[in-house]
Amino acid sequence: MRFFSFFLFALMAACNGAPQPPLVASDVVITRPMPGRTMSAGYLSLTNNSDDTIRISHVTSAHYESVQLHETTTEDGISRMRAIPLLEIPAGETVTFERGGKHLMLMRPTGPVNTVSLSFMDGNNLILAVDATFDSQTD
Amino acid sequence: MAVALAMGIFVAVRMQTPAEPKQAFVLPAPMPLPEFELVDQTGNAVTRDTFRDHWDLVFFGFTHCPDICPTTLQVLATARKELADTGQEPLPRIVLVSVDPERDTPELMGQYVDYFGDGNLGATGKLTELKKLTTALGIFFEKQAGAAENYAVDHSAAVLVINPAGEFHALFSGSHQVDNVVHDMPLIMAAY
Repeated sequence: MRFFSFFLFALMAACNGAPQPPLVASDVVITRPMPGRTMSAGYLSLTNNSDDTIRISHVTSAHYESVQLHETTTEDGISRMRAIPLLEIPAGETVTFERGGKHLMLMRPTGPVNTVSLSFMDGNNLILAVDATFDSQTD
Repeated sequence: MAVALAMGIFVAVRMQTPAEPKQAFVLPAPMPLPEFELVDQTGNAVTRDTFRDHWDLVFFGFTHCPDICPTTLQVLATARKELADTGQEPLPRIVLVSVDPERDTPELMGQYVDYFGDGNLGATGKLTELKKLTTALGIFFEKQAGAAENYAVDHSAAVLVINPAGEFHALFSGSHQVDNVVHDMPLIMAAY
């Protein structure tokens, strides 16, 4: 399977000597929509460096008509995919989105997806912006 | 002398403890597939006879599934390639049976399974025919509420092994790992 890999630029980029940004995304990978399909999945880790729980209510992107927070669970041999209505990242902890678990469901790209922006929101508040650039080495 | 003795003991132990599958469960008595009729990506009928003369790795999923289905098929495709690289003969065929026949047309199934390599089979068709197959095999699936385009389908995570007699022969339950498939399939096929 081919993948996009991302270069991340958080809005609150850390500088030498500056405090760490409260929320950091890392290891971001999304799958390219498969032939005939208009949806793909995104995976990443979100680390909360603050002393407070960070909440993500939804994710938006100008490059997809819809982005949803989903989770696949497999219990008793049955795989189920459900929306995550509110993602909570406790202080000092990392939440990992990975295959077969939490993932971003990226639906209906609005155009060629060589560069992707994702906005992690808490209501109307922008918590983290992630700009992602297509990396041909991992396509 | 000591080395020869040790080698002899080693060989004897190996002979007494044949390799066993790491993950797959082999049915004590293989179960014939029921009568059913679906359609493949080229429009040809898929019946229980389609599964004769092949070893098949069968997964029940759907093409609108962005996470576990492509992940599972990629595991199977990678395992098949690794088996091919070792010279394994025969190689199992990868089969995706749609549990979402409402949306999964033969054309979509073809695009989907072809993405994971040549020779794969995608089967879809009437819900009533699908249920003949899944009920007999104990495969669960259930459509969830949701918008017309966005609904999900809960489904069994298992990968079934069908033997060349067209019988349900063994089962890989999730989570699926390439190494397990590469290890287990030659043992299962050799013991048949």
